[in-house]
Amino acid sequence: MKYIIIVGCGKTGKELAIELAHTENVVMVDKNLKQLDFLGDDFNGKKIWGDGLDMHTLEDAGVKEADALFLLTGNDNLNIVVGKVVKRKYGVKSVILQINDVVKKKIFQEEGLTIVNRTYLIVEVLKKCIS
Amino acid sequence: MYIVIAGAGRLGLVLAKKLREDKHQVCLIDKDEGLCNRLARELKGFLVIWGDATYPDILKEAKIEKASVCVSATSRDEDNIIICNLAKDIFGVKRTVARVNDPKHLALYKHMEVDNPVDSTSIIARIVEEEASFSDVMNLLSIKKGRLSIVRVDIPQGSPVVGKTLKDIQLPPNSVLVSILRGPDIIIPSGSTEIYPDDEVIAATFIDVEKDLIKALIGKI
Repeated sequence: MKYIIIVGCGKTGKELAIELAHTENVVMVDKNLKQLDFLGDDFNGKKIWGDGLDMHTLEDAGVKEADALFLLTGNDNLNIVVGKVVKRKYGVKSVILQINDVVKKKIFQEEGLTIVNRTYLIVEVLKKCIS
Repeated sequence: MYIVIAGAGRLGLVLAKKLREDKHQVCLIDKDEGLCNRLARELKGFLVIWGDATYPDILKEAKIEKASVCVSATSRDEDNIIICNLAKDIFGVKRTVARVNDPKHLALYKHMEVDNPVDSTSIIARIVEEEASFSDVMNLLSIKKGRLSIVRVDIPQGSPVVGKTLKDIQLPPNSVLVSILRGPDIIIPSGSTEIYPDDEVIAATFIDVEKDLIKALIGKI
């Protein structure tokens, strides 16, 4: 079982958390209590209500033991800052962050960080549709 | 000097005006269109740019590569860090200064190599605490982000230093008496200067021994 932390309980975060929680150990962090409620009763993991920019929150979530950290808040800048700091400070094996802005995705690429961009993904899928 | 300030809130504005008075060239960047329009109308001698400074295009428009310093004073810590990183890594700005909004985020600024994160909340909290707890002590000046302070201490009747000369007074290390105000006189003390009740003593002290210094001068805290 992998230990997985997800920051940001939006649409993507929620779906990912619920799916992964069937087989893995999942902790969801969000600064908004209401968002955490959206996970519903079926969610089979831990919820932490806190600020993802505060390293104490991430330490409470067990970042030192984590196999993977997903940063899925809608805030590109937050995802970038937390992703880089967590990689440097705690050496988490897989750090995956969502960056919506294409320019920032290019600038902040760094070894050890996996950056996911919605626009790129959709473009790739659309291209495949006609191939 | 040319200085770019991101965030034209209260702090950004006060700072910009001050720097302008000191004859520096200043550029202000803010996300709020209405605010930028108003500033551009009301302020003379500033370059005002409307836009999100966390995007390189906007920083380029501000000609940040010509700036000696980039100050990031927005109300979001993640934005301040990104702005300082872009200024340094892409545009080669030598010095980055940022306002830390939440002291819990200070560690992030350090990890992300912002040169001078200024934790205003903690600095103000320290000053307020001082004002609240010691009535006969007043902080006159804080230097180096509050690590060194110049304080004024009113010497009460029952103080352990009353009647003693300076050479007989044991002060904590890293603290020194700078001056004594006695009625209309200003005295620069020497070893043989004696302390009287109701003297006002000006002292310079490292912040970590400030309480010890006050205890030595007043006898209590």
